[in-house]
Amino acid sequence: MDKQQDFVLRTIEERGVKFVRLWFTDVLGSLKSVAVSPAEVEGAFSEGIGFDGSTIEGFTRSYESDMLAVPDPTTFQLLPWRGDVDPTARMFCDIAMPDGEPAASDPRYVLKRTLAMAADSGFSFYTHPEIEFYLLKSSKFGSEGPQPVDSAGYFDNVPGGTANDFRRRSVTMLEQLGISTEFSHHEVGPGQNEIDLRYADALSTADNIMTFRTVVKEVAIEQGVYATFMPKPFTQYPGSGMHTHMSLFEGESNAFFDPAEPYQLSKTARHFVAGLLRHAPEITAVTNQFVNSYKRLWGGDEAPSFVCWGHNNRSALVRVPLYKPDKGQSARIEYRAIDSAANPYLAYSLLLAAGLKGIQEEYALPPEAENNVWDLSYAERRALGYDPLPSSLDQALSLLEKSELVAETLGERVFNYVLANKRQEWHDYRSRVTDFELERYLESL
Amino acid sequence: MSSRENTRSALARLGFSDLAALPGRLALLGDIWEPRFEGFLPEFALAADPDQAFQALSDLARADPGALERVIRTEASRAVAIRLLGLSTGFVDFFGRYPDLLAEVCELPLVYPSADALYQGMREAVDGLAGDEAIVALRVRYRTYLAAIAAVDLSSDTPIQSQQFASRCLADLAGATLDASLTIARADLAVSSQFRATLAQLDATSLAIIGMGKTGARELNYVSDVDVIFVAESADPDVVATDQAIAIATRLASMTMRNIDGIAIEPPLWEVDANLRPEGRKGALVRTLASHVAYYERWAKGWEFQALLKARAIAGDRQLGASYIRAIEPFVWSAAAGQDFVASVRKMRERVTDRIPSDDADSHVKLGAGGIRDVEFTVQLLQLVHGQHDDRIHQASTLDAIRALADFGYVGRADAAEFSECYQILRVIEHRVQLRHLRRTHLIPADPDERRIVARATRLGTSSEDLDDLWTSTRARVRKLHERIFYRPLLDAVARLPRDGIVLSTEQAAARLSAIGFRNPSGALDHIAALTSGVSRKAEIQRLLMPVMLQWFAAGTDPDYGLLAFRRISENLGDTHWFLRTLRDASGAAERLTKVLSSSRFVGDLLDRNPESTAWFGDDAELAPRPEAELTAETLAIVHRHGGSPREAAKRVLAVRRRETLRLAIATILGLLDDAALGLGLAAVSTAVLRAMVVLISPEERFGIEFGVIAMGRYGGEELGFSSDIDVIYVFRPLAGTDPEAGQRGARAVSTELTELTSDFQLPFDIDLGLRPEGKNGAPVRTIDAYAAYYQRWSAIWEAQALLRAKPVAGSAALLSDFVALIDSVRYPSSLDEQSTREIRRIKARVESERLPRGADRRRHLKLGLGSLSDVEWLVQLRQLQHASETPTLQTTSTLGALDALVQNGLMPTESAETLRAAWRMSSRIRSASTLYRGSSVDELPTDFRTLEGIARLLGYPPGNAVSFENDYLRVTRRARVVFEREFYGQ
Repeated sequence: MDKQQDFVLRTIEERGVKFVRLWFTDVLGSLKSVAVSPAEVEGAFSEGIGFDGSTIEGFTRSYESDMLAVPDPTTFQLLPWRGDVDPTARMFCDIAMPDGEPAASDPRYVLKRTLAMAADSGFSFYTHPEIEFYLLKSSKFGSEGPQPVDSAGYFDNVPGGTANDFRRRSVTMLEQLGISTEFSHHEVGPGQNEIDLRYADALSTADNIMTFRTVVKEVAIEQGVYATFMPKPFTQYPGSGMHTHMSLFEGESNAFFDPAEPYQLSKTARHFVAGLLRHAPEITAVTNQFVNSYKRLWGGDEAPSFVCWGHNNRSALVRVPLYKPDKGQSARIEYRAIDSAANPYLAYSLLLAAGLKGIQEEYALPPEAENNVWDLSYAERRALGYDPLPSSLDQALSLLEKSELVAETLGERVFNYVLANKRQEWHDYRSRVTDFELERYLESL
Repeated sequence: MSSRENTRSALARLGFSDLAALPGRLALLGDIWEPRFEGFLPEFALAADPDQAFQALSDLARADPGALERVIRTEASRAVAIRLLGLSTGFVDFFGRYPDLLAEVCELPLVYPSADALYQGMREAVDGLAGDEAIVALRVRYRTYLAAIAAVDLSSDTPIQSQQFASRCLADLAGATLDASLTIARADLAVSSQFRATLAQLDATSLAIIGMGKTGARELNYVSDVDVIFVAESADPDVVATDQAIAIATRLASMTMRNIDGIAIEPPLWEVDANLRPEGRKGALVRTLASHVAYYERWAKGWEFQALLKARAIAGDRQLGASYIRAIEPFVWSAAAGQDFVASVRKMRERVTDRIPSDDADSHVKLGAGGIRDVEFTVQLLQLVHGQHDDRIHQASTLDAIRALADFGYVGRADAAEFSECYQILRVIEHRVQLRHLRRTHLIPADPDERRIVARATRLGTSSEDLDDLWTSTRARVRKLHERIFYRPLLDAVARLPRDGIVLSTEQAAARLSAIGFRNPSGALDHIAALTSGVSRKAEIQRLLMPVMLQWFAAGTDPDYGLLAFRRISENLGDTHWFLRTLRDASGAAERLTKVLSSSRFVGDLLDRNPESTAWFGDDAELAPRPEAELTAETLAIVHRHGGSPREAAKRVLAVRRRETLRLAIATILGLLDDAALGLGLAAVSTAVLRAMVVLISPEERFGIEFGVIAMGRYGGEELGFSSDIDVIYVFRPLAGTDPEAGQRGARAVSTELTELTSDFQLPFDIDLGLRPEGKNGAPVRTIDAYAAYYQRWSAIWEAQALLRAKPVAGSAALLSDFVALIDSVRYPSSLDEQSTREIRRIKARVESERLPRGADRRRHLKLGLGSLSDVEWLVQLRQLQHASETPTLQTTSTLGALDALVQNGLMPTESAETLRAAWRMSSRIRSASTLYRGSSVDELPTDFRTLEGIARLLGYPPGNAVSFENDYLRVTRRARVVFEREFYGQ
């Protein structure tokens, strides 16, 4: 530890770093940053940097008003977009109580705790997100709505397009920050992009997602455009999801893989999927945490609105992708509801907890969905047992509020905060008269 | 006949136990062997279990006479066989399979084999062999050496001194075995059909095995896991690239482990445990040196560095092993200190106390109190505290560390010598217990015959009682030594008096105090100095006690306050006889006193004013709550004696109250009282006070009225806590001939006097009249007729609800009984109509939104919050109003009693009632605990971190659990709220 701190202090000297940003995440998933001068870093390592938690969403109201951000020296990185003029570095922080006990409302701690629970059963949890977002000409918009930067579609190669430059630049920057990206292509909507982060343990992935969002926003600004992770910025185009591939490892081996089972899906994997399906409705208020999230979930296209699973079925909530049969290590399942604006720490905690619950209680996996679920009638879906996900934030919250699983996983503090904050959001939304109403009613009524 | 008699007692003297059978067994040996066995029969006295030794050799006579011939050739060889077979059933089995090897072992000289000899011998055993054959040869040779080592150990006339050499030798043998196993792995891999690399590449792959834990520190047991780390390199990158070398080395490492702990014809030896490697079970089995270093630089945690202290290269490539040790050296100890210092001490202590099933606690040589782990804890604690500034005490093995601590003045010479001896005795016992069945156990057997065998094997005793004595006395010494070694020098430091050759500097003493949790060590040193200096008898006793008391203070929430409070009491009491007796009291009075003082300011402050109560700590009978009748008799007697001077009488009555409250507080903290008994006890005290005060005021004589006090709320339910107000209402009735106006004035005067006489700034007695009809707007006193008229005409349903907990406590008996008759019809209505039910729900809903103070957090409010006290009480009261008239058991003033009655009468599901009970109890207990902890009550779950911790500790949480305590409260009340909403609002 000391060595690593020394390394940080040395690098700060050698590179002439002017500011060090201490990063952590609030309960809603926004990145928070405290900038300190190099002179304060040494003290930050030994005692943490005190800050007033009541200024941070979800940290309020408690002893957390006196909290410590303790930087993790292993996450030290120079921020590439700051260039050489005023070199700036960042470190992620753990949030601690004055005596060093982890703070209950630190989302990173919630995930760590859930991962520890998995580790008690001998599992480690790996995730791989496909993050979609839109590039807009500007964050300002007029009566036409937001303007995408181009009109390309899926896999189109746009010569000299902004998107290509943008992607090249982002990928380079992410690499400089030690985050490898796997594959990037243009998504269906105009101006929509997708960048996949490579497989990693869930905590690293969540840290990487936080970094990723910042990098993408920074690069966009650099190139005179605007990037948004809003789940559904356009009525007519698909929303931005964050499909996440997941697997559990037992030591060196993939616990989802069993060559003898259908789709090579082990018993563990089947219970895990069953857990995801059974608890999906009650965790949706976290995986899809905004009023706007439900516009994506119920916007048709490929949105997974019904609780079912399928093999390569792109309308299912949980998809079991094809992989090369001899590559048992890459066995995985994909959860498709979660969107790009989720708090990754909390969302991954709940997905893991739901899956683990399925394993512990040996939930039975319902039969696979073979057709496009959207093509079925309501009665057919009901007959087949494909329940809908909540159709609004309000409904999602009612389910969340009754969930023992969510309360236990998030801890009571975070649970209460999410409920209160999201209820307020729903309340604010409901009181608003929308364009839809004006267009439809003003003249006709 | 007489010779037979002689033989039997002779046999008993030799240690045989199956005396009657032996002659027959001798005869069975036949003509050739019988006389020879008879000739050396006395030598069986060397065996821990002579019968077993005899049986094993007899069996050998039948199975392999040639081998037996060699075994019994000389007295020396016979002695070895008798000792080995006469202790270990494991060796009996092994040599049953390989009789020739027994002969070989018996012919060896009785000296511990050198490390070189072991490494060479193990290598020779597997030389030229491969596959299963090699594995069997490896294991057989290992067990042969194990027997050879045991033979030397068991024959030693000084077993205590011999122990450490045996341990070293065992560690060397483990290393030699891993080394030979790696040789086998290399040979096997070279010819494996799955091996894809070239032989040159295999040869260019260097692999070193690093011993950790007891193996690394060379203090191994006979049967134990062996902790290792694997490190590999390419010796020649031109021949084999590094990543390929790692792949090859990983195969080698797992084959090496399997050769030792995998299934084969000869049973496995021990588990090779590689989990101390970077990233533990999840990490790569083999890493390069650079990768290890990178890991320790970036990721490693404090405890991993502590583990590295014991690292030693034990097998494989010696040069690589040596480079590894050199490379990690700078890390060792660097991070042991730092910011988590107190926390790591705490974790270490938890590891010690996080023991074993309690059944085994008294027979566990390693983890039992006073066992091996306790010695290691003391040593490691001292290394941790003082090792930050002193590299000279960084030894790997326990014995070396004790020696160094003594050499450099941290432990006195005599103490160190005694500590070492205790440690070695414990290890000897452990070794013998393990040898008995060659099993990894640390339990002293329960069977007396088995204990006798172990005792004989230690050569420190001959009977099971001897072993019991040895174990008991050694444990007692270890526990005493911990105090003497860690705490006692603190006293000598403040006195600046060297003892046993050492004196700590003030800084060193302060370091020890902060390590165990004192926040202000220099203040603590002042208190210690004040308490222990001087020539008085008290100072002498306190000097004697202080070391252990410091340990107890440190276990509390606030050691600094505890020590200060103790100093105040001690100074108050001076040389009082009974105080000194209490301190020395064997029943643990001093320990209780320290525990209570370091966790409760409420008690500390009360004790400061009533120091004589310190006497109770030695006697549970003194701490039992006193019954209401007895208390009332005492307060009434005071009134009788001092009635002429009401102020004086009231003062004395209030002193009784303080004394009894203190008694209840102490008993609660010590866990002698549950909440139910506490509630009753506090109610009894309040009642005794009020009865005496009413008599003192004499309403009938002075004002011509009968006067009554009715307890309400928690008081009426006899469920008081330390933070509860005294909710009451007053009733009066003018005596015949008293003018109603004058009566009214008189009743008001009584009310005022009651408030005045009971006012006590030391321990406030908060009479609260808020539950009277019409609340704050109502008259403070009413006649019984006014009550009757009121309830008849105006009474809202919520007033009936308040009456559910009304219980008459003081004043005119006739009036009180009339009052009860009056209210029973109000509070137990024959039926509750829908409108009243709706009205109760509405009021509750309004109370929820209005009564909560501005800015309060609904989730944390202990009285009015979601799922806390008032939710539970309203629900219970609603059910009482609905059902109490036809269900007499529901006619109780107690909330928990009513919950029980609801379940018994099928009016509430058991599970719901349990959820509500848990929430109500937890909220109540938090309120009481907060008062105890800091001397004042709280309405909300505190947000201040330290207060939360203090309350959590009083509720029985282990240290460092404030966050999980908070989480538990929020969970319990969340669940209660769900039940409440369903049952109360009908949702």
